[in-house]
Amino acid sequence: MAKWGMVIDLNKCVGCQACTAACSQENTRLPGENWQDVLYYTEGQNMTWLPRPCMHCEKPSCMHVCPTKATYKTEDGVVAIDWNKCIGCKYCMIACPYGVRFYSDSKSLVEPDVRGAFAGDGQHAWNPPYRIPEQFEDWTHGVGIGPKGVVTKCTFCYHKISKAPKGTADLDEDNPATKEYTPACVRTCPAKARYFGDLDNANSRVSQLIRDRGGVRLLDQTGNKPQVYYLTGVGGVVPSSRAKKA
Amino acid sequence: MATQMQGAGGLNTPLLAAGGIGLVASLGVALMALMTQGHAAFNTSNDGVVWGLPVAVYVFFVLTSTGLTLVASLAMVFNFKEFYPIAKRCVWLAAATLIAGFASLALELGHPFRMLWAIPLSFQVSSAMNWMGVLYALYLVLLLVKFFRIEGGDWDSGASRNFGIAAFLSVIAAHGTLGLAFGMMAMRPFWYDGLLPIYFLATAFLSGVAFAVLISYIAYGLDQDNMPERVRSLMTGAMPKLFATVLGIVILFVAFRTVTGLWSNADGLEVFHHMVASPWFWVEIIAMLVAFLILLSPALRTQGSMQLAASLLVVLALAIGRYDFVIGGQVVPLFKGTWVEGIISYTPSTTEWMLALLAVSLMLVIYAVGERMFNLSAEPAPKK
Repeated sequence: MAKWGMVIDLNKCVGCQACTAACSQENTRLPGENWQDVLYYTEGQNMTWLPRPCMHCEKPSCMHVCPTKATYKTEDGVVAIDWNKCIGCKYCMIACPYGVRFYSDSKSLVEPDVRGAFAGDGQHAWNPPYRIPEQFEDWTHGVGIGPKGVVTKCTFCYHKISKAPKGTADLDEDNPATKEYTPACVRTCPAKARYFGDLDNANSRVSQLIRDRGGVRLLDQTGNKPQVYYLTGVGGVVPSSRAKKA
Repeated sequence: MATQMQGAGGLNTPLLAAGGIGLVASLGVALMALMTQGHAAFNTSNDGVVWGLPVAVYVFFVLTSTGLTLVASLAMVFNFKEFYPIAKRCVWLAAATLIAGFASLALELGHPFRMLWAIPLSFQVSSAMNWMGVLYALYLVLLLVKFFRIEGGDWDSGASRNFGIAAFLSVIAAHGTLGLAFGMMAMRPFWYDGLLPIYFLATAFLSGVAFAVLISYIAYGLDQDNMPERVRSLMTGAMPKLFATVLGIVILFVAFRTVTGLWSNADGLEVFHHMVASPWFWVEIIAMLVAFLILLSPALRTQGSMQLAASLLVVLALAIGRYDFVIGGQVVPLFKGTWVEGIISYTPSTTEWMLALLAVSLMLVIYAVGERMFNLSAEPAPKK
């Protein structure tokens, strides 16, 4: 079984937010409910940016705090939410060090609240005319529009990657055989800054990049051990942990 | 007889009326808002504070319940007999405050009814919240069993004592898991503290003592002269000394915690600077210090009006402290970069305030109904 992971090359990322838009369209998220986002900030006198999906951590604190096991780790390494079990306590949002989770019943982050125009149908939190096809809805993995009163997050486009043939090392939009299984943010990136593949396969592109170019993980001191790595391109390898063995 | 059952001062009916009106009004407004807007009626947000005032209210009330059980346990577990005259009232109020806290939390959850089966059936061992829910539920059952034992006159049988001990142990465990629910969050340095359950224990005990003093005065018309001799003797003897001791410990906890937070450069602790810049923090500190000075003075601490003032000041300080604690852990964004300009702002919405009013009203109604139905002043018959 694969352990899916992502590598984001910060030297290539142009901060265009195409990934954010693609994610939002693919997964029918509310405006502002950016499962994938690009955060802008200033470093000294320079503006820079950081793309930030869910890190799908190896040791996810969000999973350990969930009182109902609604948040869980799939066999292929994805942190998923079972909307049938989520009670909306938001403890996972407290425990996630990366701020990637959203509560479906909260105030809209962007005004006006489009839920007013596309009110929910009793089952879904809202009901837009253009939406993720019904056959992809999978509440046990948090895929789809989802109900009210639950927490939502990036699924690594689980409705796509889970259909990839077993043993696939890389999910690449340039490979016709894997194009349809590639997460929307990876597939749409115009700078090709994103790579997606099996972290447990030493020959996968993501493993090679992490190894050869010194992939680093965000806020590694939290011990959550993200499965999303960044290539900074500005110096040596940052150890993933102070301990000799992870 | 009726006078005795309703409290000598006759305050029970006004309390019941105030609680009833508050309950109807708050439920009406809150349910209307929740049914039409859902939790968008709260000022909590996906990019800021996700646990708002209703969670602070929950923490305040369940820890008050914890403290009231600790006060009752002084008599019923540790055999400090002078606390018997207020023990039964404390047990009933502990149940009332616990239910009030859970009511606030239930309306804050996305799916409160799903919680009833999803938590016990899933039983996530690593989740402090799972243990907190299970243990507080167990505590409520044991508390009520103990109450109805003593209501039936069975204070001292082996079974009755064991239920009291079990209730005491369950609430120690329950409040500990509530403390751990915050204290284990390494990614939230404002909360991260292995000793947080002990901090909660001290503040819970203080809350329980303050409520025990308040309710004892309310039950006897706010006048020491109306109190039976054994209650008056407690109120002028051990109670104010206990109150002063616990308050002193809590003042030290708050002082050292704040100084550590202000000193540290650790990412996430800058919220302490934000906290001390708020006048509410100083209201909390001054309220506790004034109450402490009252309780230190042998002349003042035995006076009814001074004890009432001290307990009201402490309840105010604890309420501010709980709010600052719950919200403070969230106002510094976790995923912090230079793009974060400052502290997230949060002010509770009307609906959130209604949940606070709901909890207070529910506590008043349950307490007043208990005062009407049971003789909460009862204590064990003297041994022959």
